[in-house]
Amino acid sequence: MRLQRWRYTLPLRWRALIGRREVERDLDDEIRDHIESRIESLIARGVPPDEARRRVRSEFGAVDLAKERCREASPMHVVDTLAKDLRYTIRTLWRSPAFAAVAILTLALGIGANTAVFSLVYNVLIARLPYPASGNLVSVTATYPNGAFAMMRDELRAMDAAVYAEGHRFTLSGHGQPLNVFGARISAELFAILGVEPALGRWPRPREDEAPRDRIVVLSHALWLRQFGGNPGVVGRSIAVDGVPREIIAVMPPAFVFPSARTQAWIPLGLDPTNTTGYWAGDYMPVIGRLRPGASRGAAEAEVRLFQSRVLARFPWPMPAEWNKDLAVVPLHDAMVGGVRTPLLILIAGVGLVLAIACANVANLTLSRAAVREREIAIRTAMGATPWRIARHLLTECLTLSACGGVLGVLLATRGLAVLKRMLPADTPRINEAALDWRVLTFAAVLAIVTGCGFGLAPVLQTRRMRLRSTLEAGGRSGGPAVASRFRRLLTVAQIACGVMLVIAAGLLIRSLWLLSDVDPGFQPREIVTARISPTLQVCEVPERCLTFYRSFEEAVESAPGVRGAALVNTLPMTGAIAKRSLQLEGFTPQPRQGAPLFWLTVVSPAYFDVMGMRIESGRVFTPADLAGPAVAIISASTARQFWPTENPIGRHVRFIGETGWRTIVGIAADVRGFDLKRSAPSFIAGIVYVPYNSSATVENGRIPSEMTVAIRTALPAESVAALVRARTPGEIALSDVRRMDDVIAATVAAPSALTRLLGAMAALAVTLGCIGVYGVLSYLVSRRIREFGIRLALGAQPRDLLWLVFREGAVLCGVGVAIGIAGATIASRWLSSELHGITPTDPTTYAVVALAISVVTMLACYIPTRRAMRVDPLIVLRDS
Amino acid sequence: MSKPQDLVQGTLDLLLLKILALEPLNGYAISQRLQQISSDELRVSDGSLYPALHKLEQEGWIVATWRTTENNRRAKYYSLSRLGRRQLERETENWTRLAAAITRVVNLRG
Repeated sequence: MRLQRWRYTLPLRWRALIGRREVERDLDDEIRDHIESRIESLIARGVPPDEARRRVRSEFGAVDLAKERCREASPMHVVDTLAKDLRYTIRTLWRSPAFAAVAILTLALGIGANTAVFSLVYNVLIARLPYPASGNLVSVTATYPNGAFAMMRDELRAMDAAVYAEGHRFTLSGHGQPLNVFGARISAELFAILGVEPALGRWPRPREDEAPRDRIVVLSHALWLRQFGGNPGVVGRSIAVDGVPREIIAVMPPAFVFPSARTQAWIPLGLDPTNTTGYWAGDYMPVIGRLRPGASRGAAEAEVRLFQSRVLARFPWPMPAEWNKDLAVVPLHDAMVGGVRTPLLILIAGVGLVLAIACANVANLTLSRAAVREREIAIRTAMGATPWRIARHLLTECLTLSACGGVLGVLLATRGLAVLKRMLPADTPRINEAALDWRVLTFAAVLAIVTGCGFGLAPVLQTRRMRLRSTLEAGGRSGGPAVASRFRRLLTVAQIACGVMLVIAAGLLIRSLWLLSDVDPGFQPREIVTARISPTLQVCEVPERCLTFYRSFEEAVESAPGVRGAALVNTLPMTGAIAKRSLQLEGFTPQPRQGAPLFWLTVVSPAYFDVMGMRIESGRVFTPADLAGPAVAIISASTARQFWPTENPIGRHVRFIGETGWRTIVGIAADVRGFDLKRSAPSFIAGIVYVPYNSSATVENGRIPSEMTVAIRTALPAESVAALVRARTPGEIALSDVRRMDDVIAATVAAPSALTRLLGAMAALAVTLGCIGVYGVLSYLVSRRIREFGIRLALGAQPRDLLWLVFREGAVLCGVGVAIGIAGATIASRWLSSELHGITPTDPTTYAVVALAISVVTMLACYIPTRRAMRVDPLIVLRDS
Repeated sequence: MSKPQDLVQGTLDLLLLKILALEPLNGYAISQRLQQISSDELRVSDGSLYPALHKLEQEGWIVATWRTTENNRRAKYYSLSRLGRRQLERETENWTRLAAAITRVVNLRG
């Protein structure tokens, strides 16, 4: 049955597709045959030829319409009309290039921005982690030192666990110029748990993270290419990492970026139970794991909680009972991207608003055009075009525009994504995975179609309400449906409201960032340049040699031309990874079941406080005499308040747990924002202690710090300082991170400032588009009423009356838009609260300033059309009509 | 201009198929025949005859051949296909059933 049908119909369809001209000729011939036959028969009955012709014509009706309906009988007709509409659309758009260009560009900006941000959101938040069976990967929201992890690894049954300590710096030597690289310390199972095979070599074997079997290193693909020229023979070779010879066992594939993209080398933890401090108080490391078959996240969490209750007793010193108390086991994906979820969602909401505003603008434009084309549409309707046909044509036009906008938008998005990646901080998780793949392109295509239908609906609705007769009778001049004007006003109000919301969001972030940057960090970062010095083990194996090297280095730098002072410190404020020690304090007894408080230990040369410009609240700073004399310490002001709230701590004593000698407190330094611009230390740190850099200044591993940072007070630019320091450093010692202290601080607010800049740019775009919208609507209203204005003027109205007439229109639109925008922002801004510092999401000052600014800007956009209304020459207007 | 109002919707197809079942005809002859056999009761405007014919052709129920008339014009003659014959049977049956049902309703005595 079906087959038989195809036998008859297939040739017809084929002909409709291929032999269009033939089909048309057949149709002509068929109808002509009918008409001629009829005429002949009438003439045969004695009707005069002219009369016969006339009569047949009226009998038959509109020939073209009959033909059109014959064409519609063919299924190919749909393709045909589409092609025709397209041709017509391209012709009309070609004839109004300004309109087409503005519409396409606006859409391209909107679609491009959305596509770029979406590719980021998709690849960071939605796409699975690039590890096999990544759904089984979990993260424990708690951190553990080496010893606790070693216990945990052996006890857990529900999951295999691994730890990593990020943010380490290693100095590679024994192969050309020594190189300081970012690296991570890891447990042996990390790669196996993630399930990533190395590109070359092998995984670390179990227990290969225990001293002394831990003399191995794994290189990143990038480091391998750069330092070893991609030589596959490096596996099995030995290089010195921080002076310790290690065998290169593997090179990871290029896509492996764990824990972050800047990690260039991985070395094992080096578990050593004999070094109590290093084993129990070293890095506190996050734990990841892979659930074993059949185990659930809940079971793993229960197990870790049980372990947590047992491990406290195993520490060599009492631990606070609430340490890691609210731990949970969460999917690894959530743990990795949790911090960027809100900022990214804010971004996509922002670009969404921009696109909405862009759509409203294009809708306004097409509405203006539809108004001008009322006559054309009326004529087409009179010729027999159905409303559906006209609607379809208008939609084709809009979809053509949005398709062009989409293609251009995708091109813009490739650029935009590169800019986004550059603007966002480099440690944004998974940022390198973002790319314009087919999913993102699909998103762009859907976006283009949705926007095309979105702004295309407006003129379609308008034409449906158009009354044919009135338009034709009025010569296409009045007849402007009130509906359309109301719709346009609505669009404008929505635009202003969206704009206000975006600007308020940007304003809140800017104010928050400003408040944050305005915080007094506790030192004077101006005119300080810092550099990290990483001596080889040969230099620092013997503490005395290390100290001698640093002392002469410090003197050499200090006496350099242009240098006002130089000092050494083990960790600069706001750079993380600060040494930790538990402290016993004279006159302070920890609560029962609470351990000795954990302190941040800052090891400094005596000049440090002067060079950094830190205030000493009481007592004195270190002097060179302290390096050799009795052991001393300086504590921070908040530490003093916490442990000696009622008495003067100067002269009191403190002792590092695990050591015998007591240190005398000689001074109290003002608090420094050591963790970031918001906090001086993370919550688990009880206090901050400074000690002079001498042989007793040991950190967790029982040794004195060998990597130090030199802080140089100078007006010289960072590049000159780099050269100056390099010239005073022996060749085999690596020098890295030469940067201004201002940049160190700026890096801590890199994420919020990137978000602020991006949202600021969107807000600017939104306001610009919004102004164009307001301008467009008012211009349209003025041009519609220009005759009325002319008459009013002719009848004696003053130009300023007209000014008020137009201005009032604009003011009402703005007022309503701003009011709605503020209401919307009050509701929506609560999502911002986690990104704000120092202000509430409903900060009245920001709202007031934004409302005022937007009002002023939109009023300016009203000015030009208003002026045009005032300059109406009644003579010209009335003559033209 | 749209559907002939005096024709029950859908019956035009049936009439056309029936006429063409008797002999192949061109459009003009079909319109003449329509008027003749229905004694001018059923008027189909010529403007809607052709779209209807084209629709039937697209369905595969009628097929067209071109002949040259004595006046040397190209004329399109339609004839019923095998598919069309089956369709005609179906529609005739439907129509008879419908007509009978309606007649019964109309003749009801209340």
